Parts: sequence; structure tokens; C-alpha cells
Amino acid sequence: MAMAIDETPTVDIDFSASYNTTATTTTTTTTTTEDDLGCCNWNDWSPVVDLDALSGDRDDFQNLFESMMDENVPNPDRAVENYNSPGSNEAMMMMIDEANGGDDFKGLRLVHLLMAAAEALTGANKSRDLARVILVRLKELVSPTDGSNMERLAAYFTDALHGLLEGGGGGAGNHIHGKHMLGNGPHHLNHRDDHHQTDVLAAFQLLQDMSPYVKFGHFTANQAILEAVSHDRRVHIVDYDIMEGIQWASLMQALVSRKDGPPAPHLRITALSRGGSGRRPIGTVLETGRRLVAFAASIGLPFSFHQCRLDSDETFRPSTLKLVRGEALVMNCMLHLPHFSYRAPNSVASFLSGGKTLNPRTVTLVEEESGHAGNGGFMGRFMDSLHHYSALYDSLEAGFPVQSRARALVEKVFLGPRIAGSLARIYRARPEEEEAGSWVMWLAGAGFRPAGISFANHCQAKLLLGLFHDGYKVEELASNRLVLGWKSRRLLSASIWSSDIDV
Amino acid sequence: MFHPKKPSTMNSQDRPMCVQGDSGLVLTTDPKPRLRWTVELHERFVDAVTQLGGPDKATPKTIMRVMGVKGLTLYHLKSHLQKFRLGKQPHKEFSDHSIKDASALDLQRNTASSSGLMSRGVNDGNAHITDAIRMQMEVQRRLHEQLEVQRHLQLRIEAQGKYMQTILEKACQTLAGENMASGNYKGMGNQGISDMGAMKEFGSPMNYPSLQDLNIYGGDQLDLQHNLDRATLEAFMPNSDSICLGKKRPNPYNGSGKSPLVWSDDLRLQELGNAASSCLSSQEDHFKDDQIQIAPTDLDRGPEMDSISDIYEAKPVLQGDPMGEKKYGASSAKLERPSPRRAPLQSDKINSPLMMNATGAMPHTKTWDVVLKEKGNKDYKGSKETKDTVECDVSVESRLLFLVLD
Repeated sequence: MAMAIDETPTVDIDFSASYNTTATTTTTTTTTTEDDLGCCNWNDWSPVVDLDALSGDRDDFQNLFESMMDENVPNPDRAVENYNSPGSNEAMMMMIDEANGGDDFKGLRLVHLLMAAAEALTGANKSRDLARVILVRLKELVSPTDGSNMERLAAYFTDALHGLLEGGGGGAGNHIHGKHMLGNGPHHLNHRDDHHQTDVLAAFQLLQDMSPYVKFGHFTANQAILEAVSHDRRVHIVDYDIMEGIQWASLMQALVSRKDGPPAPHLRITALSRGGSGRRPIGTVLETGRRLVAFAASIGLPFSFHQCRLDSDETFRPSTLKLVRGEALVMNCMLHLPHFSYRAPNSVASFLSGGKTLNPRTVTLVEEESGHAGNGGFMGRFMDSLHHYSALYDSLEAGFPVQSRARALVEKVFLGPRIAGSLARIYRARPEEEEAGSWVMWLAGAGFRPAGISFANHCQAKLLLGLFHDGYKVEELASNRLVLGWKSRRLLSASIWSSDIDV
Repeated sequence: MFHPKKPSTMNSQDRPMCVQGDSGLVLTTDPKPRLRWTVELHERFVDAVTQLGGPDKATPKTIMRVMGVKGLTLYHLKSHLQKFRLGKQPHKEFSDHSIKDASALDLQRNTASSSGLMSRGVNDGNAHITDAIRMQMEVQRRLHEQLEVQRHLQLRIEAQGKYMQTILEKACQTLAGENMASGNYKGMGNQGISDMGAMKEFGSPMNYPSLQDLNIYGGDQLDLQHNLDRATLEAFMPNSDSICLGKKRPNPYNGSGKSPLVWSDDLRLQELGNAASSCLSSQEDHFKDDQIQIAPTDLDRGPEMDSISDIYEAKPVLQGDPMGEKKYGASSAKLERPSPRRAPLQSDKINSPLMMNATGAMPHTKTWDVVLKEKGNKDYKGSKETKDTVECDVSVESRLLFLVLD
């Protein structure tokens, strides 16, 4: 504790010092360090905002800042008064409960600042200037690669908010300044594809090693599929977003070694590929296919791979799918895994509803579990998002408290872009209808029948989590739904469905 | 008059003669009169307990009041209530926690309590016996299933790992090709290579440096290739991490994969290295013992036990030195609180000597850090790392404000 408290003032000093003095040194090293974790790059950022010009305004805000940042007098009341949305209140209560010690104060301060910035961006008294000033202050305090979880998280949120501010509510983070806090050079679309290929792979490997999210989604879905097709000779899986195809490696292995039913069924996987937005060129899907074919050959599973192109607007048309009579059809829909790209809801909806017309044996859905989405407007969803990612960060750290670099890489490559993306979406979604709660609800409403999660599946999930950290918990929220959570925060939900009609 | 009140004495032939006192209680004729819990008395007891809302809610005092039997003291009731609660437990535990408590300990307790119940009285005994047997069978069935699931999980994780390796290898090749083709990629290409090299280390066979390797500070990356043989599942790390965390030891293995860090950076090496080597040396002593111990303490089921430990021993486990340290954490924790979580550790160890290409093991942070250092990442705060390690079990820093500690 003592160390943490001592750290706080020094951190400030460090930051301001390095901010000023390393500005020159970093320029010389940028060429070689360009693609590293970029911990130093944010120092290049020079505030275009001329604080002197804002001095008049700033006086008004000064008090606000000082009161918020006064460590001796935490002002939770003030914050609670200001933000009435239920989501943020709840979060505030939790924060107040947890606030003790210098380090937490710092974190609390950061949260206050973030909330103030978010409020300034979207609240009743919108003020872009205020938001800008707050973000400047925030950037002084945080770094995406240094500091505690809260600090790094705040760094990414700051950046995301900054992107909203500069982007004017349009695209996700168009930076006028051209320098990106996350150290990827002047990329405006801080997407995972912007990162170097090796970074992406490394980060993905790390993500898999350090957290159960990916495996949980994959294994739960696979187990459900296995059980559903246990007596079939032909299985056809339509995968909405195959990515690298990792999910299927373990399914193939399980199919080859299954004891009951006909051994080694013929497996067909159709992967949906997206057209030309440039995000994931088709080539990658084909590569994945090749890899899967090779893998299947290596374990002796009869296998064939197909690709099904989505429309330009990423709508799925069932007619484009090649079906074979007598095969068991499975629709696999992985969304929101940490390393996944964002998929538009229309696209997902078209996939699921189109799939329904094909009468699949099983539909597996893995999606992010959000808090009380939909109420509280931007602030509520902002707080929810903050809560969600802080749980994510915490879960990574708890398992690997010392490997901060590894975690920083994962955060940079995957989580940071997701934060930026989801904030942008929340921001843009304001005037329109709030997004439908979750795909689980959508599926239930669309007439899919929930299929039960077996004891074996649940058991597997628990065992899997046991391999990681105590803090992960799996709950069976419904007969067909397992939810993975970190401590008390639910993060990922895996659910199994089948079509209404009995095949 | 000296005559036994009930045929309860038939349960134990060597019971001394019983006396029925005025109060209606049956006492033995020892120098120290002991109360005999007759069937009738027990039934009244059970009634009272149910009236009060179950064995957990009822207290000796209240039971005494409800039963209203003269001569029954609090001490009698206390001990009887405790036995009753233990007898009840297998029932509740099973229904409440489906898997976690279905461990060897409960199984044993189950048998103990059921036999204890048997002595309570014949009529009750029969019902209890069949219940107990049924419960045991249920528990065993679940345990079997759990073992199956474990085994499958093991294989599936390995399959994933193999697949990941193909990805990484291909990426490595493409990058090598790119780099050679384009000469100098203005730093990115070189970086790519070194990255790939680094990643290959922690990517491909999911290394976990062996004990011997730990002595090699900053060994070059080629040496790491030999670690291919020492692959172990990541399973170990997080598990031992969680176990160690729970114990709040200043254990360098508090964070999984600290051992790679041990030899990565000179700055941190001193602290970590010392701690690690001390930890490891103590572990090495237990290594052999742990190996064998784990099986029995954990599963404690006769025939399956042997097969598992046999499988385990059959492999030249010496190559799995890293497993030693993990097991150390694991087994010591196991001794504290056995839970099915240990089982995955067990099966992991079984297969890991075989599995060269297990997926998702420790990120080989050593090389990663070395690579970053090479790239001149000056801003990396070495001191911060040490702070992390020193504070690792206090973990104030890691506690986010949003965290509601359960």
C-alpha cells in the first residue's frame, strides 16, 4: 500500500518529465521502435489545444478539476449528483466502496475525469472545449503501456474519447493531429489489421494463453455441436466468422476420436467471406481453409472446405449455400471474442435468420455479455463499457501480474481498438434506437428453440476455467446458456439453440 | 431396574447394560453414565431439528427446548447435532455444488457418515443406507464423467495447440520470405523476423523453460528451441498461479510464467532470480515426491488412481522439469483444499510429456522482453516490474475500482 501511495506523486512527475524531455529523444528512435508496443509514442503528442487561449474558460473548470482531483477529499457526492443515469450511479457506488489507498484514489480520479469528459461530449451541457481540456489532462496522467490497469484502461478510453471528439461523431477516431496515442503511426482506423501481422499473431497467442475467453467460446460451442451430431455421418458447419479456424481444430480432433456413433464423420465447413471492405481479404479465408484441410488430413478426418461469399453489405443469403442431403447442419456464430472484428448487426441478423430457414440442427452463439445495456443513454453505456473492459483487464492481470508487456500488447492490438470501436458505436447510436439487447434475446424472439447445455459441457467449462484463475466463473443462466464472468462481472455468453422444427 | 429399554444395544454387542432412568432416557451403566441415542430419542431429535428449520438453523439450546426431554443436556445435544450435520452433508453438498464437492474427501465423508448413521438405529439406518449408497453411486458416476470430460478437454486443447503451431510456422515462413525478398523493410522487416523468432519461442511449443534452463541467463534463442521438448501446458501456470495467489506467499511463481522473466532482464534478474532459485531449489527437493503424491492426494480413487499414476510415471517425466515447480505449487495447494481443479493438473501432466505442441502455454515472455529490449524500448520501466513482483501478493494495483471482490 505504502508503495502505491508513494508512487502516485512520482508517476505524475515522471510523466510530465518524460513528456517534456523525451520528446526529442523519441523522435530519433521512432524509426526502430515504430512498431513496438509504442509505449513512448504518446509522448510525441503535443497539445494543439492552446491552454492559454482557454484560460478564461479554464478558470471556471479549474475548480471542478481541483475538486475532482483533490485526493484528500474524494468527492463522490458531486459525481453522483451530476450523473443520474442508473448505470453510472451503480458504478459510482462500487467505486466509492472500493476507493481506498492512494492508488485507488488515482484510479478514481481517472474515472471521474473520464466520466467528465464523456459527459462533456454528450451530456446536457455539451462542451467540446471542456472535453478537450479534460482529455488533455487525462493524457498527461496515463499511458497505454505503463501504470496500473486503471491507468492503461483510462489511456485507451481517453484515446477513444479523443477520437470521438476529433472525429466529430463520424468515423471511429479520425485524428487531426495525426499522431495516435497508441503508437501505430497515423492510422485513423485503429483496427487490428493495422497492426503488423506478427503483432497480431503474437497478441492472439498471448490472449489465448492468458485468458479463457477464446477457449471457452470455442469449446462450449464444440461440445454442443458434438453432442448434437453424435450419430451423424455427415456434418456441415457454416461458420459466420471463421478467422483463423482455430475453433475447428479441436472439433476435428473430437470427431475423430469419438466413441459412440459412427466414427470420423465427414465434416464440411463453409466459411463466410466478406467482400471488399478491405478488412479481411478473401485470401485469408482461403488460407484458413487450406490450413484446416491440412490439419484434417493429419488426423485422418474426411473433410472439405467451402467458402461462401457475403454480399457487399455483408448480408447472408441462404441460397448461396451448398447443401447436401442427409447432413446435419450447424450454424456457428462467434461474435465479440476479444480478437474479433466488429460485425454489423444487420449482417448477423441476416445470418441467423437465413440460417433458420435452412433448419439447422444446432445454432451456437457466443457473444459479449453486456450489462444493463440500453438504459442511461451514452453515459450509462459508457460506464458499462468501462466496467466491462476493466473486468477484462483485471482478469488478464490477475493471471499474469508480471507480464505487463505481454498484456500491453494484447491491449494494444485487440482491446484498444475494440474500446475505440464500441465507444464510437455507442456515440453514434445515440439518436437512433438503442441496439437490441443481445443476440440471445433476438434468437429467442426469432423462434429458435433453446437446446440444453449438458452436464459434460458445463463440467468442461468449469474445468477449463480451473486451468486459469480462481476469479473466472461460469454460470448457467439458462438451460441453454453458459456465461463466463470475471468476479462479479459477466463477460461472455455461450448459448445453444436449435430450430423449432424437429429434424 | 436394570434392563435395556430398546434393542438398540444390538448394534454393538459389547455395549454395557443400559439403565432407564426416571426421565425416560436410557443411560449406560458405566462409571460415567453415557446417553444412548435410541431410535425414539433420535426421532424426536430429528423432529425438533426439522421444526427449527434444519440442522444448520437449529441450535442445541433450541432443540433442547423443543424436545423437552428431561435430563438431556446441552452437551448431549451438541455432539449429536454435530454428528447429524455431518451425516446430512453429502446430501446437501451434492445438490448445491454439482461438481466441486464431488471430490475424494466428500466421498470419504459420505461413507463415514453413512456408517455413522447406521449406528443410530435400525429403522433409520436402512433408509440412510440406501440413500447413502445411492448418493455414492451418483457421485461416482459424476466423477467418471468428469474424468472423461477432463481427458477430452486435454486432447482438445492440444489439438488447438497443434493447429496454432501451423499458423505460426506459416507466418514465420512468409515473413522470412518477405524479409529475404525485400532486403530491408526499414526496420519492420527486421523487427518482423525478430518478432517471429520471439514468437516462435513462445508461440510454437508453448515453452516453459526447464529448471536447468533457468540457470542460463539470457541464453540465446537457439537454446530455447530445445525447450520444445519440455513443453507443458499453460494449464500449469495459471493454476499454480491461482493457487499461489491464494496463499499470499511472496512467490515468484505468483504470476504464471515468472520463470521466463527470471532470465530475461538483468535489471529484474537479481530479485527474481534469487527468489526463483530459492523457490525452485526447494521445489526440486519435493519434485520427486510431489510427482507421486499428487495422484493419491488428489483423486484417491483406487483403480483409476493407479492407472493415472502409472501413466504418469511411465513417461520420462524428468524432461518435464517445469512441471515440477508447477506441481509444487499445485500439490501443496492440493493438500490444502482438494478440488476437481486439481484433476486437470493431473491429466495435464499425464499428457504433457507427450505433447510437444500443446497450445496456449506460457507466453515465452523471456524472449519477448529480450526482443523489446533489443529494440531499444527505453520507456519500459524495469523498476515497475520489480515493484509488481514484490507486491504481487498484495495486488493493490491490480484491483480495479470496479472490482467487487467476492
